[in-house]
Amino acid sequence: MSSNIPDDTDATPCAYTDYREGETNDDLPATGDDATGLAADVWDALYGIEDPEMPISIVDLGLIYGVSVDDGVASVDMTLTYSGCPARDMLTEDVEDAVAAVDGVDDAELRLVWSPEWTVEMVTERGKDDLREFGLSI
Amino acid sequence: MATSLENPDELDERERRALETLLKRLADDEFVLAERYTEWQVRAPTLESDLALANNAQDELGHARLWYDVLGDIGFEERELVYERDPADFRHSTLVERPFEDGDWADAVLRSYLYDAAEEIRLESLVDSTHPKIADRVGKIRSEEAYHLEHAQNWLERLADGDEGHERLQDALDRLFPYAFTLFEPVDPDVEEDIVDLGLRDATLEEMGEEWLSIVVPYLESLDLELPADGRVGDGTDEFEFEVTEEMLPEERGRDGTHTDAWFDLYDEFTRTYRELGRTETTRIMDKPE
Repeated sequence: MSSNIPDDTDATPCAYTDYREGETNDDLPATGDDATGLAADVWDALYGIEDPEMPISIVDLGLIYGVSVDDGVASVDMTLTYSGCPARDMLTEDVEDAVAAVDGVDDAELRLVWSPEWTVEMVTERGKDDLREFGLSI
Repeated sequence: MATSLENPDELDERERRALETLLKRLADDEFVLAERYTEWQVRAPTLESDLALANNAQDELGHARLWYDVLGDIGFEERELVYERDPADFRHSTLVERPFEDGDWADAVLRSYLYDAAEEIRLESLVDSTHPKIADRVGKIRSEEAYHLEHAQNWLERLADGDEGHERLQDALDRLFPYAFTLFEPVDPDVEEDIVDLGLRDATLEEMGEEWLSIVVPYLESLDLELPADGRVGDGTDEFEFEVTEEMLPEERGRDGTHTDAWFDLYDEFTRTYRELGRTETTRIMDKPE
């Protein structure tokens, strides 16, 4: 029988155990620290939403790139960690619902953005603590 | 470059058609390739490779969705683009629709290589697209695609190293190479010209095709594989030049709406559940529980 398995064992370990490290971006992660009024309330609502797989707020995970409120309309720029995210509709609906429920917000608009691309560098210090507590090495 | 093409309401007919054509090429390729990859789930030769290919399929579906989203801005809905679309309107290259023979792992690996090498060139040409949403998506997609190429090459090199694997790769190359040329065939030559003139993409199909050949041909030959069709011109001392002639191309090219029978079977398969459920909405299966 012919075999495609080489005789010598020169196997190297899987190269994908490291998460891709990204470049840091001065404006990100956005956390709404300096937000006031209604925008601050929107950030609070966003903090209340957790990633579906890990006990970390989507804000600390670095998914929110910006929030603005104009005349009762709250606009949120958000990304996802992965283009093939199977929880996309679930998460975006959660965000829209939570933002629309903020007192004073008449309408919520969510824009999915993909650049700069999300990397672990976008996770806040508090988020890193949450992930470590969850058992991830970060 | 004149406009940023950002506002869908301001697009004229020519801009709209160029955008639609470019996005359908991109999205359909990714979507149909993913449909084929998923056939390997629970059938790949090891659990690791099963997971890897399933993951690549998930990436490709994600990328297809990102491109279909941009088509959403010019009035298309997901269900019209996928589940209710006339199969003859799909514009993917016929390379991605070809069926796998049972257990022919070499085919899946080689196909992935031929496609992913082309995909990298194509994405590179979109980095500075005048359409902001296209430019916004490219970085994310490229970072995920890089793994696909590495995966394919890793397997290619191992398969090529054994007698049976090498033979299977050669068979797959003989079958797939003509279809791979269709990756760079035009949907409509005039519209293809507009895509570049409008700055949606900064390289022509010919330029990208040549670059692809200058990468894949030497690589495949380094694995001792023989090209089923060799269009190289010159004595090899000048710059790499390879001419794809009409005779080298298959009859069905996908881009122009011609497809092989296998595509229509695949289409019936992936739209079956949608049809049987009598769906009119694709994104939500049931109301969110209170």
